[in-house]
Amino acid sequence: MISSPEISVIIPVVERYDNVKDLFHKYKRVLVKTGKTYEFIYIIDGDFKEVWEELHSLINMGEKIKIIKLARGFGEATVLSIGFEHSFGDIILTLPAYEQVETDEISNLLAPLENYDMIIARRWPRKDSILNRIQSRIFHLLLNLLSEKSFHDIGCGVRVLKRGVVKEMNLYGDMHRFLPLLAHKQGFKVDEVIVTQSKKDFFQRIYPPGIYLRRILDILSLFFLLRFTKKPLRFFGILGANIFILGSIISFYLMYMKFFHNIALENRPLLLLGVLLIVLGVQIFAIGLIGEILIYVHAGDIKEYKIDQIIN
Amino acid sequence: MRSILSSEVDIEKIDLSIIIPLYNEEENVQLLCELIHKAISPLEIKYEILFVDDGSEDATFELVKKMALLDNRVMVIKLRKNYGQTPAMVAGIDMARGKILVTMDGDLQNDPADIKELLVKIQEGNDIVCGYRLKRQDKLITKKIPSWVANWLIRKITGIPIKDNGCTFKAYRADIIKKIPLYSDMHRFIPAMVYVSGAKISQIPVRHHARKFGKTKYGISRIYKTLLDILMVKTIISLASRPMHIFASIGLFVGVLFMITLLLSIFNVIYRPELPMITVFGCTMLFGFLSIYFIFSGALCELIYKTGSFKNITLASICASYVNVEPKRKE
Repeated sequence: MISSPEISVIIPVVERYDNVKDLFHKYKRVLVKTGKTYEFIYIIDGDFKEVWEELHSLINMGEKIKIIKLARGFGEATVLSIGFEHSFGDIILTLPAYEQVETDEISNLLAPLENYDMIIARRWPRKDSILNRIQSRIFHLLLNLLSEKSFHDIGCGVRVLKRGVVKEMNLYGDMHRFLPLLAHKQGFKVDEVIVTQSKKDFFQRIYPPGIYLRRILDILSLFFLLRFTKKPLRFFGILGANIFILGSIISFYLMYMKFFHNIALENRPLLLLGVLLIVLGVQIFAIGLIGEILIYVHAGDIKEYKIDQIIN
Repeated sequence: MRSILSSEVDIEKIDLSIIIPLYNEEENVQLLCELIHKAISPLEIKYEILFVDDGSEDATFELVKKMALLDNRVMVIKLRKNYGQTPAMVAGIDMARGKILVTMDGDLQNDPADIKELLVKIQEGNDIVCGYRLKRQDKLITKKIPSWVANWLIRKITGIPIKDNGCTFKAYRADIIKKIPLYSDMHRFIPAMVYVSGAKISQIPVRHHARKFGKTKYGISRIYKTLLDILMVKTIISLASRPMHIFASIGLFVGVLFMITLLLSIFNVIYRPELPMITVFGCTMLFGFLSIYFIFSGALCELIYKTGSFKNITLASICASYVNVEPKRKE
């Protein structure tokens, strides 16, 4: 490679994909219109024979496409971070392997990059099924409780990032979904731009129940990631202390009843609850302390602040 | 090494770095900078002023930028967003080039004229000199009383006789403070953390002025945070020497309770079988579980201590004062 392109387009092929050739040409048209140099990187997560063959026929037709094929399915977060590593552009554009938004509007995302570090697309107005829309609403409602900045459609695969954002992101599991939130946490400026949803994206999606469980766990891990990675005791300590206090109140109440009203402790199940709460509170508190120790020990390796610029 | 400000002429080295975290202090920076220049210039040392702009939303950054471009003794670090006072201070400490570092507030409540006194104390051989505010000019209920309580608690719990932990106005020897891990709201515990590592600490009174411009940036919500932080510092301090000690000793204490209740329940079984067992025996089991839990937690701490760089952190600063001895190399 003589000079690195300005825009790296990363297209992860995970689970869903549409007609590869059509979509490639549509995407390409958008990029040609921007007038910037670009590169296309397809990352195939596992065995998608059809995609593999079609991409090869595109290459044979003279298109410059990089293809990275993974040995088995690793999930979108890993796929994306592999794509980030193998791309050279200063601007990274991730696009879904299926038509999610009207492709012509993708270029709208590039304009605000002057003032922002990351732009995500927001499909609006939504035309999916009511069920999907309600699910998405609940999901985002939960997310927005955790983060200072609220987003409406973080599931959308169309995102533009600057190289600097990517360098600081450590993606794993299902974390790609939370990329905008994590970037915002790191102090980057993130915004969303409204685009029209593609007609091909309108069908109803039904997920197996396992997916919901995973989403809930994702939100939980994000919660810890955003709030308590530096101060575990703030979380565990308060939780533990409150449980401990509750347990103590119950126990003291029972003791009071025993000594002043002579109500025997033996046949009061409340005793069990009170004492167990005390124990639980103490244990949660201890977990918080151990967490603090862990962080203190590794504090030397973690830089908490990010420098924007230095003068002189 | 002791005579840091002496005639060892080194053009590259700067003697003193003054680190000032700023958050929305547009009214204060200009005056502050002038006051510092006025206070330090007569001392005839090479110094730099390091402003750390902690994501201010007002014109603070533009002002200090202008100052930095005009004056090569002023350096500005702009953080990407508002991280809080400790991370901002750490950013300054990491970037500072001086042999002695001084941290102070950006709100003009500290008097730059006191820097001289701090430096004198450092020259006398102290590793860290803390200021304590005489006649604090703050609101009694929201600031002074919580501060008294917090300082008293920190003294009692950690056993370290620091009068004013909340005062940012301090001077440090750079090679020591750069080794102390600081994060979150830890700046309040710098003296405590340093004390553990065996460095020499001294305290001097500093002047304190009432706020001229701007609002105080603290709310009352920091009280519970401080309480939890005190516990954390206590844990870490006791951990520094005996990693397993703190949890295991609680575990053993609970273990003793377990033995007592166990004996009691055995006594009950043999001599008073007519009594129901649930109360005493239930307590016995719970104490037993809790004791085991704590002992294992202690073991976990030992593990963390062994695998982490904890040892390096503490030992490095214990051996901070060398006289004619080459510092031991890192392996």
